[in-house]
Amino acid sequence: MLRRFRLEEPGSISEASELLSRFGENAKVYAGGTELLLAMKEGLVQYERLINVKNLKGVSEVTSADGMIRIGALCTHHELETSALLRDKLPSLHKLEQNVANVRVRQSGTLGGNLCFAEPHADPGTLLIALAAKLVAEKSSGKREIAAEDFFVDAYETSLQADELLTEIRIPVPAPQARSAYLKFGYLERPSVGVALAFKLNGGLSDVKVAVGCAGPAPRRVPEAEALLNGKSREEAARSLVEAGAVAGRASQAISDLHGSQDYKEHIVGVLLKRAFQAAAS
Amino acid sequence: MQFQKEVEILAPREKVWKFIWDVDRFIACVPGCKDAKTLEEGKKYSATMVEKVGPFKVEFPTNIEVLEREELSHIKAQASGADNKIGSRMKVDLDVHLREQNGKTVLAFVASVDILGKLAALGHGIIKRKADQVLDEFAQAVKKRMEEDA
Repeated sequence: MLRRFRLEEPGSISEASELLSRFGENAKVYAGGTELLLAMKEGLVQYERLINVKNLKGVSEVTSADGMIRIGALCTHHELETSALLRDKLPSLHKLEQNVANVRVRQSGTLGGNLCFAEPHADPGTLLIALAAKLVAEKSSGKREIAAEDFFVDAYETSLQADELLTEIRIPVPAPQARSAYLKFGYLERPSVGVALAFKLNGGLSDVKVAVGCAGPAPRRVPEAEALLNGKSREEAARSLVEAGAVAGRASQAISDLHGSQDYKEHIVGVLLKRAFQAAAS
Repeated sequence: MQFQKEVEILAPREKVWKFIWDVDRFIACVPGCKDAKTLEEGKKYSATMVEKVGPFKVEFPTNIEVLEREELSHIKAQASGADNKIGSRMKVDLDVHLREQNGKTVLAFVASVDILGKLAALGHGIIKRKADQVLDEFAQAVKKRMEEDA
């Protein structure tokens, strides 16, 4: 049962940050609530105060300017799966959003909330790493950008400071020759493994980014797998995929659990990387 | 969940053995362990284990019972506790072995850890990883403390 808590209604990001600063671990930011309220109902976490940021202005739009797509952290997954801008400019993220959890979660869950909760089996973080996204963290005294690959520290842990709020996700508009794909596989409610691949295809492959998520405690970029594909022709890269997949599997820090054994997850990473390459390069 | 750890300590076996029974100093090596009390010298102890995974915190008031003791070489102990706030229980069966090897003392332990209740919602893998981290930190802290004293 949900215990009693006080709902704070800040009028700005700065006010929300001050509340976080004042109440410390007794308060938590409340956006879509799809993860937080479940954990509270289960009694796994208890907060005296929830800081409702749902009504804050200027953090729930998708815009594109100066070569950057900006997604407000309060955009729900449903808003993103129906965004024409995302569909045109970032089809891989658009497709990912169409497949996040289920329709009820997508309706109220926000992208920012998903990233901040850092549930290990979440999808978006993995692709955002491959897309070289920057996450904007804001507090009353200023803001900073955190590279998506530096944002996830561990299971349920991010590099956000206690008084910071995630306000925006910035993704460079992909060049015309840029390709990307995110694939996931699982047989339970949440995925067992997620793999994201991005590269430029201009004769050969360049600027390759590989990221793996869901298998381990947090999504991570795999530069060793990228190095095996970078600078190769499409055919050479296709031949290197087995090795790159094995490297990415080991780097995923896969954990044996109900979603599959470590070996199984590492194997699936390789399979998904191969399929992601085929999907992106075709 | 089964864990096996081994750590080589640059100190004589007698000293390591003595250290294990110095409750205050020993408990300081267990991450998240506080308020250690001796209930019955050499047999029963109590302590509170506090652990954290992201926003999830558990606090287990824990009873520790020494089941077997073989001077300078082996201790078998059992620890159990419950966090009623979260509705979870913990049970640890611990086998500790000491042996001499090339002038060093090898501290080897096998731990069987069971976590039951709502905490399991976090996922077996996450809990296993956390327990593994705690045991690693513990082994390294014992080594550090003993070698600093040497």
